Amino acid sequence: MAKAATSAPTAARARDRAGAQDGSRPQVFRLDEAGITVSEEPVAARDDLMPVAEITRATAPSGRGIGLGTVFWSALGGLVSLGIGLALSRLIEDLAARAEWLGFVGLTLAGLFAAAALAIAAREVYALARLSSLDAIRARAVSAIAEDDRPKAEHVARDLLALAGRIPSLARPRAELAGHLSAIIDGADLVRLTERTLMTPLDARARQMVSDAAKRVSVVTAVSPRAAVDLIFVFYTALALMRRLSQLYGGRPGTLGTVRLVRHVLAHLAITGGMAAGDSLVQQVLGHGIAARLSARLGEGVVNGLLTARLGLAAIAVTRPLPFAALPAPRLSDVAAGLLRAAAEDEDALQPGSRRSGKLAKE
Amino acid sequence: MVDPTRLVDEARIGARAVADRFSDLASPTLRLGVTGLARSGKTVFTTALVHSLVTGGRMPVFEALNTGRIASASLRPQPDDAVPRFPYEAHVRTIAEARSWPESTSRVSELRLEIRYAPKRGGLRTLTLDLVDYPGEWLLDLPLLDMSYARFSRESLALARAPARAAEAENLLRALAATDPFAAAAERVAQDLAARFKLYLAECRSERVAMSLLPPGRFLLPGDLEGSPALTFAPLDLGEDKAVPKGSLAAMMVRRFESYKSAVVRPFFREHFARLDRQIVLVDVLAALNAGPAALADLERALDAILLAFRVGRNSLWSALWRPRIEKVLFAATKADHLHRTSHDRLEAILRRLVERAHARGRSGGAHLDVAALAAVRATREAEVTRDGRRLAAIVGTPEAGQEVAGHRFDGAEEVALFPGALPAMPDALFDPSGDAFRGLASGTDADFRFLRFRPPAGIGADASLPHIRLDRALEFLLGDRLA
Repeated sequence: MAKAATSAPTAARARDRAGAQDGSRPQVFRLDEAGITVSEEPVAARDDLMPVAEITRATAPSGRGIGLGTVFWSALGGLVSLGIGLALSRLIEDLAARAEWLGFVGLTLAGLFAAAALAIAAREVYALARLSSLDAIRARAVSAIAEDDRPKAEHVARDLLALAGRIPSLARPRAELAGHLSAIIDGADLVRLTERTLMTPLDARARQMVSDAAKRVSVVTAVSPRAAVDLIFVFYTALALMRRLSQLYGGRPGTLGTVRLVRHVLAHLAITGGMAAGDSLVQQVLGHGIAARLSARLGEGVVNGLLTARLGLAAIAVTRPLPFAALPAPRLSDVAAGLLRAAAEDEDALQPGSRRSGKLAKE
Repeated sequence: MVDPTRLVDEARIGARAVADRFSDLASPTLRLGVTGLARSGKTVFTTALVHSLVTGGRMPVFEALNTGRIASASLRPQPDDAVPRFPYEAHVRTIAEARSWPESTSRVSELRLEIRYAPKRGGLRTLTLDLVDYPGEWLLDLPLLDMSYARFSRESLALARAPARAAEAENLLRALAATDPFAAAAERVAQDLAARFKLYLAECRSERVAMSLLPPGRFLLPGDLEGSPALTFAPLDLGEDKAVPKGSLAAMMVRRFESYKSAVVRPFFREHFARLDRQIVLVDVLAALNAGPAALADLERALDAILLAFRVGRNSLWSALWRPRIEKVLFAATKADHLHRTSHDRLEAILRRLVERAHARGRSGGAHLDVAALAAVRATREAEVTRDGRRLAAIVGTPEAGQEVAGHRFDGAEEVALFPGALPAMPDALFDPSGDAFRGLASGTDADFRFLRFRPPAGIGADASLPHIRLDRALEFLLGDRLA
């Protein structure tokens, strides 16, 4: 081998790879020279929340062809709107024929109706976009942790800071986090720091909400006179819980948003149901068994309460803008512990708070 | 054949380990091994670590401190009364007030820190953290533990004959060529050879050459053993497998080498390295890049040889009692503040490549390993320089007095922006076996990288927290799970 002949080009190539072209040699500059900006702030790009349109496009279900159902509903929707439009214009014409001023009143009312309908639609679209922007933040956070990607993590942190700006009780954690943004922290660490700083107070409140709702449901089921009453109550509580959790974590679901939220939560339950059952099945069955032996109604109350707690946990997983990476995810025993314990004792089931307050008083 | 001294040594280590386990029951203790060659920043790292815990510095990633679970951290009397105390307060004053780095360490010192913390489940507990500081030069002795004199001679001379050290070794090699190792032993000849050997080792450490693999360590920094026979030996050209006649110069050297091992190296290893729980390996990659490919290759060899001495891996019930292994190792590229943050990932990649073999060994043993670019005390700020339409990511700091770039000598007060050169995206480019993958100070001017030594930052008091880069991440990795 002609070693001398091959080593020279290798070295030259290696130097090229080492990035030693003109201009990237080591250089020293005096600080009073032009063109030097000393940064106290991070140099990374600071862009605000992603535009809404882009997000919805990014998360919209892709590549579904136009199905028969779509054609059916679109055609029906078109016909109904045409019908309403026709009826309205007829009505206004009739009114105008009877008296001119009546026609104007009708026209004004129709205009107001149209404007209000538009505003409602816009609000719904905005709320939906907000929900999906939360989904997008969570997706980005997951990939920032996996790739340890600093710019992505910073994007997540800034989005969450903007989101937390509307929650007054987070003012102090927010200021703290904003102060850390200029420090040199790796991507995954930054996401975890963000979660620890901003999510801890919210998580505690979310846990309390779920726990309260579960207790309320179980008590109402136990004492309600008719099955229909507690069915309605369970449904109402679950819906309200989901909406409140979503609000807590920065989403503001409207009507359509709530529908989507419910779908998400149910889908999440379907996926994780098996796993969740695995970790607490024994406890649940046992809890139910004891309770059912005490009284059938009490047993139903516990089951309904557990169901609500499950639903609440799924709702937390769906509405929380960050994945559980630095903090432990709440488990069923965290939010339903009181329920299971209370169910074992007749009195305590009817007064879920009494046992804990007794314990507090003892300490 | 089993070496009896070695057996005795192992027995003593085992006994100490058992004693440690029992004392751990009473008060949990974590022995953190700060490992690094000379000038890799052990003293500064230890000082910054203690300072941040004691003053509760700005450590967002260190969860226990950030969430306020650490109630207090205070200095406690160390376990060994015969070992000097780590002069923590003096070092903090040197860095924060005098704005200079602590002088290089010349002896072993210890420090014990008591951390009172609240576990996540609540309550209040105490964790004792034991730290040891020592001259990095002495670490070079660890590979000698398993070496015979013949092998030591062979390897030392092979290193001395390498082209990168030719100029420094010339004097020694000439004297060795004129010496007959099998002639009758004469103290005068031994002293002369040892003196030349010492000089050669010392010269290999200059900034221009920056060699790392220079055993034995006490020849560079003798401590209180200077002039003793155990430190008066040198490698000899013994040739192939010849028996050493009694009374010859070679026989005298063999005896002295063995007593160096038993009197110096073994106790040092037994006292300070055989019982570590966690380890951080500090590596000054930038100094090697500064000097050139030969220095980088030498650093790789030195680290590999040293890290072989440590037992890394997950503990079994048995090993936890008798011969604890190190369960978590953090490899850290120090002085990351000499680079813009955009280059930190590349620095980590280079370090990963540098400690590849130690990393693989640890992983197969089941240890937790991580690699980070850190600066225990951050001496620079970042800046962007626009030149000819190109934007260079530079750093701003005050170079130490006497540092030189392109003929310009700094006075220690002037603040400059430095673009140190671009690190390659693929670290393999630097480890090209042809030996000219990049140019350092060793090959004259026109180097690819130039890292200046900066003074510590201005305007921090001894009580304020020190600025740092990723020290919090290092602490989270090393201590986080023990404070959970």
